This record gives sequence, structure tokens and C-alpha cells, in this order.
Amino acid sequence: MLKIENLHASVEQKEILKGLNLEIKPGEVHAIMGPNGAGKSTLGFILSGREGYQVTEGKVDFKGEDLLDMKVEERARKGLFLAFQYPVEIPGVSNMAFMKESVNAIREQQGETPLTAAEFLKKAKEACKQVQLPLDFLKRGVNEGFSGGEKKRNEIMQMILLEPTLCILDESDSGLDIDALQVVANGVNSQRDGKRSFIVITHYQRLLDYIEPDYVHILANGKVVKSGDASLAKDLEKEGYAFLGQDNAEETNI
Amino acid sequence: MSQWLQQVIDRGQAIDDWLSPLRAEALETLSNTNWPNRRVESWKYTSLAPLEKLELTASNTAGNTVEKAVNKAFIDSIEGLNSLDLVFVDGKLQNDISLLPLLAGLHISSFQDAAVKEQNTANALFAKIKPQRHLFGLINDALAVDGLIIDIAADSEIEQPIRIVNISTDGQESHHRILVRLGNNAKATVIEQGQGEQASLNTSFAEYEIGEHAYLEHYRLAMHTHQAIHIGGCHFSLLQQAELNSTVIAYGSELSRLDIDIIHNGEHAKAKFNAVYLLGESEQFTLHSTIEHAVPNGTTEENARGIIGDKAKAVFNGRIHIHRDAQKTLAELNNRNLLLSRRGQINTKPELEIYADDVQCAHGATVAETEEETLYYLCSRGISRSQALVMLNFGFIQELVNQMPNQHLALWLKPQLKSRFVEMEVK
Repeated sequence: MLKIENLHASVEQKEILKGLNLEIKPGEVHAIMGPNGAGKSTLGFILSGREGYQVTEGKVDFKGEDLLDMKVEERARKGLFLAFQYPVEIPGVSNMAFMKESVNAIREQQGETPLTAAEFLKKAKEACKQVQLPLDFLKRGVNEGFSGGEKKRNEIMQMILLEPTLCILDESDSGLDIDALQVVANGVNSQRDGKRSFIVITHYQRLLDYIEPDYVHILANGKVVKSGDASLAKDLEKEGYAFLGQDNAEETNI
Repeated sequence: MSQWLQQVIDRGQAIDDWLSPLRAEALETLSNTNWPNRRVESWKYTSLAPLEKLELTASNTAGNTVEKAVNKAFIDSIEGLNSLDLVFVDGKLQNDISLLPLLAGLHISSFQDAAVKEQNTANALFAKIKPQRHLFGLINDALAVDGLIIDIAADSEIEQPIRIVNISTDGQESHHRILVRLGNNAKATVIEQGQGEQASLNTSFAEYEIGEHAYLEHYRLAMHTHQAIHIGGCHFSLLQQAELNSTVIAYGSELSRLDIDIIHNGEHAKAKFNAVYLLGESEQFTLHSTIEHAVPNGTTEENARGIIGDKAKAVFNGRIHIHRDAQKTLAELNNRNLLLSRRGQINTKPELEIYADDVQCAHGATVAETEEETLYYLCSRGISRSQALVMLNFGFIQELVNQMPNQHLALWLKPQLKSRFVEMEVK
């Protein structure tokens, strides 16, 4: 599904990723944890193709193709989805119009006929229900005036509608209370089907109580410094990131 | 160029028709008027240079007929609108494809066919609502030999929208005039729609008197583009408890300008004025609006939004003037602009001039650029950059388009605006 080899990347001349390796097979759930400034969100942005991030070395293969060579929208159409940590508010563009356009752009890429308004509405209503967003959120401007939790749920709703093959969740747990966290986790778990892969980026272990990962990687100073199974996250919860050492902690304090 | 103005005066003086006495004042003023340069405030940001380059045939002398074949198919049919269509080509009313209906309460006459009664109506309106300060309004006074007199009787509700289509063709200069009177308690919808893209000059000015308790729903679709120069105005007088809901949708051309005047002459009148302008390439569009609150208890709400791409240039000047006696006025004016390109230009100037002390007024203007972060968000969901721009641009003006009371017109307009966004996009 995804193979990242020796990825180096910088933002405004500052190197953030310094030789990151990661391989994800279909159906796997990988958690990426690490201290603030370790490069977790940068990884998500680079994979989805955000401007302003320069890859200086390494490669990323997504389903046999060079991911870094694709435009943002091409990556999405190939099945990559990033749930944003801070989703953007777009007044004037309704959630509904936005999602219909997205779903049909992706269907078109996959050689499927576009959904009619009625077909789309039906799917959108189901997705809304799944993440417990009231239906009128479909009519509202994208994320316009949504609370933090509603924005996160809206991201998961988009994920459900777009049916991606690789989902990257960038701190989808941040700022959520325990009920909202469960809603988000349930939404994600409902999409685990043995084929779809997930990268769950999180600072805390608590999300992983609800979304159980197959692998946990600790990212520090731009590299994966430790990998293990779900128990690694639990150890981390007890011991914190202190084991990374003073040097690392300072360097990662960006 | 004052030579051109001199020719206007000469041509105006040569016209001999029942409007000649009314033209005299304009001709007098024009003969004492200098051709505006950039030091004249109302033309400071609007260049008349494209007009100076044109070589045109003045088709609009009396008795001249349009030779170009224009048939009904040339006029867009708007699904569900069920309008009464009146078509001007190069300033001449096309009787063969226009409907001059005999609906109860509605009387429409062309200038050419006006009988004494209609001439009297025209006398009461012509240059009576439109202020004298508009240079091209005066030129229109002098040269408009054709036009419409629309008289809506008191207490009449005209359900079918009256749609006036104004087409400019290659190489022609034309001037026409619309005069509308809504009697007390009357209700009507008027759509003024302009189109043309070849080298031409058209001036089209409309004066509306909205009677007591009457309601006018009004649209001005200023869609002249490319080399078609269009300069026009809509001027409204609101009597007691009259209500106006007006929407301007404008594209730009080498030179395109609209002057709007809304004059509260009766108390408790309400005016809502929305404008949307979308400019690409090196198009220009100028919108000057003046709201006069001459009496107490009036309400005005004005919202103008523009999107400016490429090397286009927009000018917005919105003035609200609250006279000393106009206590308890509620007036709001807002202008928002989205610049799609570093080379685009917007000059915006909202003005409040208040002489009464018990009023509620607000005004504001903003200019913004499309945010990369927002584009990235849309693209990250599989939407192409160009489509994302269309969505964002449409989002910016959608609110105003959706406020158009006539949904048939809005539905017809939306896909056109979207395809314009695609044209406007800067690669």
C-alpha cells in the first residue's frame, strides 16, 4: 500500500524529517506517536501533498506509483485521505456541495458514474448519522461555525463518504471529550475492513484504547526511533517520552 | 474627445421629436461641460480611453432602422421565468420580437408610438429622477430616441416579469431610455438585461418611480463584455412605504459603468440593493451608487461583492447621504472583494454622509485573496484546483445570488456565473 524510504523533508529550509522509513500493508493500522515537533503532522502534509514542504531525499511509493510526483487531488483520487487536525472553514460553500463534488471527482477517476443528487443525499445522511452530526450540517458552510469536536466528526464523515484506501488521521483526538472521541473512533473502526489501511497520528495513547493499532511507531527528531505493537503505546503512556533523551527533546522543540 | 461631445450636442440638437423640449436642458448642460479627465472625482479611476478609440456608426438617429437580422433565438429563454420580453437591438425596440402586451393594469409603449397620454407620463419621469450630474445620463437625455414608457396602474399586481433585453452589435452606437411608473400599491418585476461583445457603445438609463406602498423587484444584468462599451444607470424614487429589491449582476468590458441612485422621497420606504461583479482578463467595471435619505424613517441595505481576476479593474463607490431631516434612518452599506490575481485592481470607497443625529448606519469594505490553505483543503478531497476555485468564488457571491427573489432567474444565472469563473481563472 505505502512504502516510505529514507524520507527527508524541510519547511522553510529547516529539516523536519530526517530519514523516515515506514511500510504499511493493506488492512493495517499504524499509530504514529511522538513528542510535539517530532514531525508527525509534517508527515501527514507531505503524504497528502501540501505546498511549502520540500522533499530533499527519499521516496514514497503508493500502490506501485510515485506518490510524491502526484498533485494533491490526484493523491486523493488514488485513495489517500487526510483527516485534518485543524479543518478549514469555508463560508459560502455548503458541506453538501463540497462532498458531492469530491465524491464524484473520485468516482470519475475510478471509472464510476457520478451519483445523482438523490443517491448522494442518501449516502450523506447515513454518514452524518454515523458520526452523530445533525442533518442540517450538510447544508451549512464547510466547517463554518462548527465546534472543534464537530469539525473532527465532519472529517470522519468525509472519510466515510470518500471511501479511501489509505486514511491518515492527524490528531483526530485532540480537543475531544470522551464522548466525541468514541464517536470518532467508532467512525474509524466502522471503516476497518481488512483492506483499508490507517495511519493514526496522535500525541496521546487514549485514542488507541478505542482504535487498536497493529503497529505503533515512535517518531522523534524526524525519524522512527522505535516500533512495536500496541503495548508500546501503553508503555509510553506510563513512562512518557523521557527515554528519548535530553538531546532529542531539545532538538525537537520546534 | 470634446469633439465627440460636440458631435453629441449637434446630433441631439438635430433631433426633432416630442422629447425635444426635454432634451433641451441636457443639451444646455452638456454644452457647458468639459470632457472628464482623471482629476474629475467621478471618473478618477475609470478611463474613457477605450471610447476614444472607437469608430462607430450612430444608428440612433430618428427613423434609422436596424438592418441586422436578430431573431427570437438570439434571446436566451429562461426556463420557468414566463417573462414579457421586450428587445432592443442597438437602441431600437424590435417590434417583431417584442411583446407589447395588453394585460390589465400594465401599459407599455415605445417612444416612437407614444400617444399624448403616454407622452405625459414620460414628461413626468424623463430626467426627473436621474440626477443631472451623470455625464452619460445627459448624453442619453440628448440622444435616446427610442425607449419604453411602462405604466403600472395603482393596485395592479403584474405577475409576469417584464424583461427588457438590450443587445449591442458590431460598430454601432446606441442610446435608449426606460421610464417606469408604479402606481400606489402596485407590484411588478422588471429585468434589464444587456449583452454584446463587439466594438460598440450603448448607453441605457432607466428611471423608476415607485408609488406609495408599491413594490418593485428589479434586476440589472450588465453583461456586455470585450469591446462592447456600456454605460448606464438605474435611478429610483421611492414614495411613502414603497419597497425596492434590486440586484445588479455585472461583467466587465473595455469600459463598463453603472450609476445607481436610490432616493427616499417618502417616509418608511425600504430599499435592498445587492450587486455582484465578476471581472476577468483586462475588463473594467465601475459601480457608483448613491442612496439619498431625504426624509425620516427610511431603510436601506446595500451589499456589493466582486471577484476580480487577471488584470481586471473594478471601481466601487457607494455613498449614503442622510439629510438633516432624515431621522430614524437605518442604512447599511457593505462592499467585499476577492482578488484572484496580483495584477487585478479594485478601488473601493464606501461613503457615509450624515446630517441627522438619530440614525443607525454602518459601512465597510474589504479586499481579500483566495487562501492557499483553503484550496489545499478542497484539493485534498479530490477536487481539482480549477474546480476548487470555482467553488470558492461561487461561495463568495452565492449568498447574494440566492437572495434574488426570482428563483428561475437565479437558476438560469448560476451555471453562467460558474462558466464565467472558469474563464476568469488565472492559470
